[in-house]
Amino acid sequence: MNLNKSIKEINELLKKKVIKPSDLVKEALENIKKNNLNAFITINENALEEAYQLDDKPVDNILFGIPIAIKDNIVTKDIKTSCASLMLDNFIPIYDATVIKKIKEKNMIIIGKTNMDEFAMGSSGETSYYKPTLNPWNENKVPGGSSSGSACCVSSRMVPLALGSDTGGSIRQPASFCGVVGLKPTYGRISRYGLIAFASSLDVIGPITRNVYENALLLNILAGHDDNDYTSSFEDVLDYTSLIGKDVKNLKIAVPNYYMSEVIDEGVRNKVKEVLDILKKEGLQVDYIDIPYLEYSIPLYQVIALGECSSNLARFDGIKYGHQTSNYTDITSLYKRSRQEGFGDEVKRRIMIGSYVLSGKNADIYYHKALCLRKQLTNSFEDVFKKYDLIIGPTNTNVAYDFNKISSDVLKSFYDDLLTNPVNLAGLPSLSLPIGFNVEKLPIGMQIIGNYYKEDVIYQLASFIEDKLKLNLDPKGGIKC
Amino acid sequence: MLTPTIGIEVHIELKSKAKVFSTGRNDFQSLPNTNVNILDLAYPGVLPKLNKEIINMGIKTCLALNCNISKTMYFDRKNYFYPDLPKGYQITQKNTPIGTNGYLEIEVDGKNKKVEIEELHIEEDTCKSIHKDKKTYLNYNRAGVPLIEIVTKPCIHSSKEAKLYVEKLRETLLYLGISDVKIEEGSMRCDANVSLSDNDTLGTKTEIKNIGSISHVAIAIEKEIKRQEEILNSGGKIVEETRRFDDKKMDTVRMRIKETGNDYRYFPEPDLPYVTVSEKEILEIKNNLPILPDELRVKFQNIGLNENNIKTIIANIDICHFFLKLKLDNNLLITACNLLTGDVLAYLNKNNLTLDKTKIEVSNFEKLVKLLVNKEISNRQAKEIITIMLDTGDDVKKIIKDKGFSNVTDDKVIKEIINKILNENQESVNDYKNGKDRALKYLMGQIMKETKGSLDPSLVQKLLLESLSL
Repeated sequence: MNLNKSIKEINELLKKKVIKPSDLVKEALENIKKNNLNAFITINENALEEAYQLDDKPVDNILFGIPIAIKDNIVTKDIKTSCASLMLDNFIPIYDATVIKKIKEKNMIIIGKTNMDEFAMGSSGETSYYKPTLNPWNENKVPGGSSSGSACCVSSRMVPLALGSDTGGSIRQPASFCGVVGLKPTYGRISRYGLIAFASSLDVIGPITRNVYENALLLNILAGHDDNDYTSSFEDVLDYTSLIGKDVKNLKIAVPNYYMSEVIDEGVRNKVKEVLDILKKEGLQVDYIDIPYLEYSIPLYQVIALGECSSNLARFDGIKYGHQTSNYTDITSLYKRSRQEGFGDEVKRRIMIGSYVLSGKNADIYYHKALCLRKQLTNSFEDVFKKYDLIIGPTNTNVAYDFNKISSDVLKSFYDDLLTNPVNLAGLPSLSLPIGFNVEKLPIGMQIIGNYYKEDVIYQLASFIEDKLKLNLDPKGGIKC
Repeated sequence: MLTPTIGIEVHIELKSKAKVFSTGRNDFQSLPNTNVNILDLAYPGVLPKLNKEIINMGIKTCLALNCNISKTMYFDRKNYFYPDLPKGYQITQKNTPIGTNGYLEIEVDGKNKKVEIEELHIEEDTCKSIHKDKKTYLNYNRAGVPLIEIVTKPCIHSSKEAKLYVEKLRETLLYLGISDVKIEEGSMRCDANVSLSDNDTLGTKTEIKNIGSISHVAIAIEKEIKRQEEILNSGGKIVEETRRFDDKKMDTVRMRIKETGNDYRYFPEPDLPYVTVSEKEILEIKNNLPILPDELRVKFQNIGLNENNIKTIIANIDICHFFLKLKLDNNLLITACNLLTGDVLAYLNKNNLTLDKTKIEVSNFEKLVKLLVNKEISNRQAKEIITIMLDTGDDVKKIIKDKGFSNVTDDKVIKEIINKILNENQESVNDYKNGKDRALKYLMGQIMKETKGSLDPSLVQKLLLESLSL
């Protein structure tokens, strides 16, 4: 049971040759096999072989030999990358995403590809072509989405680390439902090259981990400019662990009134208030404020994200790769049937809405207006950061819910993003931190939003709170790490 | 009276090293599907790059066409489904074209006219589809090849103006060095919008595509004007449609009726950040702009070249570039130009070559020109030498020696030859002295035959007359 130890401890054991990377991989593979949470779509069949090759190599960095799970919308050379869609059920990439290259450079082991909502569209994991992932805390509950499998496999301690992607909350929401730490970094902080696009101006890749420190460790190796992604930033990469443990007294915290309003479950609000009380007691300035335009974020997000998605998913036409219908008579029927068969309902719905908002005069009525409003919302956030270091609020309006709720209310998945998607629209970094449980013993997540490229400050406060709360976040009540 | 109004849209394929939004090689001539990478194939997860060379070429073109240059611009996605469009959208510039409000000056019947340019934008080309045996084959070499589209305002009023504009545009772009501008090979594509009206309001327009050569531009427009005239004069209405030029019928034929509101769902390309261009960058490009045809015309007039030669030399850019490298006095340059537009061009046309594919060198050619002007060789010898120079690149002195062309200007040598011929043709000498002018021509012919045409005819005639008058 080495994988339950902290990365630091594992690293020490590896260095002392007490354990080998292959031991870790064997353990991870066994964990995955034992579980029936449906967290993975594909297991890397070469993982053990790759680990054996590392066994005799010097341990050159803290993440050496650590197994990691990858969301299945991040392309991995020679390993099927499906986006949890029939459309890409047969798709084996010929290249690695930039983050995958970085992970391989650090001699980490990709253990497999995790389940998700189809093309990252959903917030419960239920839109997956491969059946939904279950919540490790209660298998009758959704794990959240779209990075369902990544949050689940870390929560259930199959692997210590995972990558997710976040367009409107897809890292933070499942992290909060599963009781793990998930970071949506600043837009452009991590290269998107190799992330199969949902909404290009919102998508980010981010780390999902058991604790704050390990999250920062993973961000350390993922961040940086990439010549293959022109939207990636040239901003200096920091040591994101450097402020962890530093005094937090001088941090100024803003709490948007909107984030603590009636729409949020009372139990969730109370937990956040408890944390705020701890901070106040510690001497931090905590102010309730208003952020203009926050209340427009859902329609705003729908117009922008779905507009972009309708274009981004046009390349899946059954001609070059992916699902091709066997039943066609001409080019139009080839397109129509391949897409009709290959995409699930939620994806089709979003492509249709997205096409609608960009069509003809609608582009002015919806899309261009949304771009203006997005700018206003961004300015509102920027104003807050002129006076405050961090913004705090719940990650979600409630805890993990029952399966099949979405199918009866297709707008539900959008309302799940109520508190998370404004952050994507503004491009800011935000972390979801577990802060406790509700009466059903379901995890509650709190969001810490930072200024651009200030992930280090987010980790500083998150780690402080983590340390104060000392929660046991192993669903089976194992060792805390 | 019905007046035609014409707008011209031209697509230019740029000859950059790499494609515009990928690092794939821009070489459409290679074997099919050999210059293709995962970006060109729109592989899941890939993102476009931006080739800065294309922005610079765009700025160059803007400067040559007197356009305002956008200092901040972005790209847009034009969405539609077609097998030749791998991403399902084309990256183009809809809202912030790199150039706006320019013009190109043409000369129509001795009068200058500014053809106004509405906008100039950068975009990517699609794959090439080849339809054969009921199948469609795709060549992705062309996917992502950079294009510049140049759109005029509806300010052209005859097929003649249209043709002059396209010719002048082609010439300008050729001298800019950004494209091969071969309309026959598709590196320049030309569409024309034509409408007729008897008042200030523009009439319903039709668009003509698939015009395969510059001369067809004029014919296609002429035919379309005539077609519309006939319809309007007989009380009919013009339907807004896309027509194509059929080069077998030499007429325009209907391709498709314009669907109302072709909906491309344009929106700003989120994968590429805004591009900014500084005043300094523009100035630097401006200072390094190659010499363009209008400027060349003045330069050549000042040298004293005749209008025909100016036209010919500008029309042949390889020869023009060679000519510009010559360091000779003006009178020698005139001779050089005559040789280049005469013997050299004839040789190139005959062998289907361009000058840069031959072995001729500037300094060697300069020597030849000097020898010719100094009458050390004859025109006929010069012609022969040029052919050898083009073939082998041999030094002019070596060719003269090999051919035994030396000393030909020595009067004594020539006179010896003349005397020999006169002795052999006493009858003709007598005829000449009896006033038969034809005899002189005959004797000249004999001398030239004896010397294989290696002598300067005017010099021979002068010396022959001297000998005969003795």
